[in-house]
Amino acid sequence: MQKRARRILLIVLVMALGLTLAGVAKEALHIYTAYDADQAEVYIAAFEASHPDIDVQWVRLSSGQVLARIRAEAANPQASLWFGGSNTSHIAAAQDDLLAPYKESLAWQYMPAQFKDPDGLWIGLYVGYIGFVSNTEFLAKAGVDAPTSWEDLLKPEFKNEISLAYPFSSGTAYTTLCGMLTAIGSPDPGFDAQDDAYLAAFDKQVHHYNESGSACITQVGQGEVGVGIGFSHDILSKGIAKGYPVVMTFPKEGTSYEIGGMALIKGAPEPELAKIFYDWALSKEAQDLYKQFFRIPLNPAAELAEGSVTATDVQVLPVNLVWYGENKDDIIDHWHEVTGK
Amino acid sequence: MRFNVYQREIRGEIRRLVRDPVLLGLVAVISLLLLGFIVFPLVKVVQHSIWPKGVFSPKYFVQFFQRSYYWRPLLNSMVVGALVSLCGTAVAFLFAYGITRTDIPFKRAFRLIAIMPIVSPPFLIALAAILLLGHHGVITDALRLNWDIYGLPGLVLTETLAYFPIAFMILEGVLSKIDPSIEEAALDMGASKLRTFLTVTLPLAIPGIASAMLLVFIRSLEDFGNPVVIQGNYQVLTVAAYHAVTGMYNMPLAATLAIFMLIPTLMIFVVQKYYVARRSYITVTGKPSGIGLKSTERRVKAPILAGMVFLSVGILLMYGVVLFGSFTKLWGVDNTLTVKNYLYVFKVGGQYVVDTLEIALIATPIGGILSMLIAYLVVRKRFVGRGAMEFVSMLNFAVPGVVVGIGYILAFNTPPIQITGTALIIILVFVFRRMPVGIRDGIAQLQQIDPAIEEASSSLGAGFFRTFTRVTLPLVAPAFLSGLVYMFVRCMTAISAVVFVVSAGWQLLTVALLYEVDQANLAAAAAYGYVIIGIVFVAILLMRFVVERLFKRGFSPLSRQ
Amino acid sequence: MTDIVVRFEDIVKIFGEGSRREVRAVDHFSLSVEGGQLITLLGPSGCGKTTSLRILAGFENATSGKVYIDGRCVNDTPPQSRDTSMVFQSYGLFPHMTVFENVAYGLKVKHTPKLEIRTRVAEVLHLVGLGGLERRSVGQLSGGQQQRVALCRAIITQPKVLLFDEPLSNLDAKLRKGTREQIRQLQQELGITSLYVTHDQAEAMSISDQIAVMNDGRLQQLGTAEAIYARPANRFVAGFIGDANFLPAKVLSLDGAGVKIACGAVEMVVEQSGERFAPGDEPVLLVRPEAVDLVPEGQGDLAAEVLFSHYTGSVVLYALSLPTGERLEVQVANPQERGLLPLRSTVGLRLHRRSLRLLEKEG
Repeated sequence: MQKRARRILLIVLVMALGLTLAGVAKEALHIYTAYDADQAEVYIAAFEASHPDIDVQWVRLSSGQVLARIRAEAANPQASLWFGGSNTSHIAAAQDDLLAPYKESLAWQYMPAQFKDPDGLWIGLYVGYIGFVSNTEFLAKAGVDAPTSWEDLLKPEFKNEISLAYPFSSGTAYTTLCGMLTAIGSPDPGFDAQDDAYLAAFDKQVHHYNESGSACITQVGQGEVGVGIGFSHDILSKGIAKGYPVVMTFPKEGTSYEIGGMALIKGAPEPELAKIFYDWALSKEAQDLYKQFFRIPLNPAAELAEGSVTATDVQVLPVNLVWYGENKDDIIDHWHEVTGK
Repeated sequence: MRFNVYQREIRGEIRRLVRDPVLLGLVAVISLLLLGFIVFPLVKVVQHSIWPKGVFSPKYFVQFFQRSYYWRPLLNSMVVGALVSLCGTAVAFLFAYGITRTDIPFKRAFRLIAIMPIVSPPFLIALAAILLLGHHGVITDALRLNWDIYGLPGLVLTETLAYFPIAFMILEGVLSKIDPSIEEAALDMGASKLRTFLTVTLPLAIPGIASAMLLVFIRSLEDFGNPVVIQGNYQVLTVAAYHAVTGMYNMPLAATLAIFMLIPTLMIFVVQKYYVARRSYITVTGKPSGIGLKSTERRVKAPILAGMVFLSVGILLMYGVVLFGSFTKLWGVDNTLTVKNYLYVFKVGGQYVVDTLEIALIATPIGGILSMLIAYLVVRKRFVGRGAMEFVSMLNFAVPGVVVGIGYILAFNTPPIQITGTALIIILVFVFRRMPVGIRDGIAQLQQIDPAIEEASSSLGAGFFRTFTRVTLPLVAPAFLSGLVYMFVRCMTAISAVVFVVSAGWQLLTVALLYEVDQANLAAAAAYGYVIIGIVFVAILLMRFVVERLFKRGFSPLSRQ
Repeated sequence: MTDIVVRFEDIVKIFGEGSRREVRAVDHFSLSVEGGQLITLLGPSGCGKTTSLRILAGFENATSGKVYIDGRCVNDTPPQSRDTSMVFQSYGLFPHMTVFENVAYGLKVKHTPKLEIRTRVAEVLHLVGLGGLERRSVGQLSGGQQQRVALCRAIITQPKVLLFDEPLSNLDAKLRKGTREQIRQLQQELGITSLYVTHDQAEAMSISDQIAVMNDGRLQQLGTAEAIYARPANRFVAGFIGDANFLPAKVLSLDGAGVKIACGAVEMVVEQSGERFAPGDEPVLLVRPEAVDLVPEGQGDLAAEVLFSHYTGSVVLYALSLPTGERLEVQVANPQERGLLPLRSTVGLRLHRRSLRLLEKEG
């Protein structure tokens, strides 16, 4: 009799286990975010504070990685919202029919045309500008000034001292690449002969590539490399504000920029919850949060941080973001060819 | 003639299997599991490489040889593997010889240090390498050196330290089991100690040395954690495959890279198992002599001791600097001590700790029992397909984690079994990945038991299930529980396969560590690392306590008389 | 009406078939065991006796041939479903269980009620003199006690066949004698058909109803102890059981009384059926050491010279050499009566006619 009871108990336990595992998932909103984890924490915590009935489950990946994952999950999407990350990846995803349109939000009405997709497949949250960050101790030791142009990066003093991310996985690096291609040679989108030569030479200056776009800033701060390339808001928040001995400069030929975007994922598990988050993310309340990280919010009512770099502070290149978004795969392939990486 | 014999045997075995329903059921279930979760993903990898989208196309195979950024990582991986296997075995031999063949002091401490890297989280050693020897590392600055630890030197250094424990355990076993009378005979005949060493000891140890080198080579080839941190521009295959998946979602490319990772590891595995292991001159089941010949001269002991001390200090320094780094405010700039990083870990990663523990605690007993069952079937029972079952379940030993991860994504992202995004897939990766070690240990433990004991149980009418649960398991229990702890530790420190199968719903600590490393948040990464070490440490202590309390009665599995 | 409980039908067992290290452990072995009998498989190591036992138990599978228990072929039945119990050489006791739990194990498997288990265990332990030791852990028992526990464990389930795999070889000599008597007593009382394997002839001869002598995987002779000793079927059996001298002989003629042979210069008649022999054949003559009397030189059948003697108190064993060069061993009881023969002395040998036996000379 006792043995029977034990056997039944075992079976019940096994079944209970099975149920927990089979994804009797939590009622929650699943999002992918390209913001750094500590920043995403802040944004998402704020959302959860004002929406106590929604539990947000998020994974942090770089924009290229989010794109890759959404492609991988196309048949069975695991997340509902793509929050943050360079919109060139959003554009590529839109081309692959991986996003869902959403034009009904108020924000969509007031957003200027250059910061949103005409079909409502993505929308801009913030703008950012590419800058150079250099370790001051390294500069002193090498006896060189911080780079102020794309050409400067090829200087012999910077050989093996530059780090940035892989353009296929990081939106930051891809934006940087687009900037290089526009600034060097012909400003028409795509590679030309001078671009090839520049990129080959630049690659030899690079000590190593990272997965994540803003890692190079911390590495420069720690003195592991001399120069990094990243977004100004990241350079401010992760480099200068942290207290690292670094200095930020911009290329005088003009710099590239990104629109940080957001999009609904097609076939999402929780479309309605995603829309609630979407609306919230464009509100002044949410966009005010960017202040502590030096990002430039696109909601005109939101506040700007002291010291943030805006369009008036730098020379901006006429980068054809839409074209670069649609042709990302080809550009990346060519990048592989030229660098051999 | 042979085929008839074979046929007859098979038919006999099938008949007997049918008469023993419990055994039949067990064999069937296990075979299905092995086919589904080991063979099927590998098949998918091959399929995706050569038949992407259902059309036969060796395009990626061809491209592999044409594009340098495809084949160079393979070459690099092989170079690193060769160097690491040499260095790692050399270091391991030094430690093993010092511990088993000399009378140097502090043997227990050295042994502990030699085993430490096995229970550490991935990346830790590479992280330490950067903190100590990077461009702005502690040692680099202190000695004002101008070197670059990234790339080949860093890879060789970190992987040597990470994997020499494996070689150490093999060599320790080999050296301590050489029959001392053989060496004594040599000395008796007038050979000097050096000559004895070179002409008797070393040759007897060669199969063990070869095994150690091959196994370290495999581990180096499949290493993911260390290269991610320290490869610099010297790209290796595992990281390239990772990029192909997570950065580009180019699955046919990833599958092709996976195949090129698989070929050398499989070949080496087969060579090691079927060629080298068979040529061992030392009986494995013999008890270690312990008494063997010990070197006591200073001119032998001193350099060995010096070498071991140097390496041990290096290893301890690495762990120490990471611990220190986990308490700094801003590594490299502001070294004031703070617990901020740990607070960060528990704030951002609190859920990860829970998730990881939950999954590890479920996977561990399942994996342990399954391994023991398979070990039992393989050792004690004869049935049709036994050889195949043993081979397949050990296969994962040779399959790099990255390949497993890619295979699982390909196999389980679509029906019939669609489990990506769940905890189940992570649990499956853990269970089947760690199985070969569990099975090998299970086999060793079972061979210690006098088979008469289990035969007696059968003779008295007990079927397979009763014999296994009432007789076998209790006898192997202490070793079994220790094996469970090992399994738990591996779950806590796994990265190369699981990085592909985590999702929004279920995250793991090691992946969170990877993220911090990615972001160059070295202090936060260090904190994660020590949180993992802390959990592992507690688990090991707990298990020792349990084993000692439960088995105070002191019986031990009887050896054959 | 006798019933055959165990039957081996033409069993062959080959290990490593098809490989270089192929071993034919059992070679066309057939044997029938009647109910209630204890049959011993006796032979040197490697003769196939243990393998045959294990095939019966189900721990090995025959390469060809069938095994029947109570008329039913059990070739494909797993060991736990055959009605056999085995007593192992290394006892095979469960080290993590007490004496009680060990002995009760087989009954537990059959779901016997607890009360009945308790009574029967107490009974059987009492039978072997281990009453009251139920709670002891088996590790605390002596070798002899452990063996008896193993015995209890095997018989308590009242199996159809009881199997013994050299159960006494781990015990010291004194203990062996006592324990084997106990085993035989128990077996006879309970009437369980038993198959016993040993290489110890004294053991075999003292406890068996019949002995099956095996060599090279084949059955050499099946018979009672007396039959095997006095009328061995071939040279192997003769040499394996007891001591033996083999002298060359030549068959002269056959008649009603027996076989007339010439052995050296002597002619004698051996009382034996002459079917296997024809005039002119050259068999060997089996002469047991105790079947020779030493007589003064010149008398008896043969002359021999004393090479040396082994004095052991109750007997003296002389090694003698014949003029033809052959050696002979002769055993004389109570040497004190006549005194020891000096070395190099010549004596006469008188062979006990009724104890002689002719065997084929195997090449």
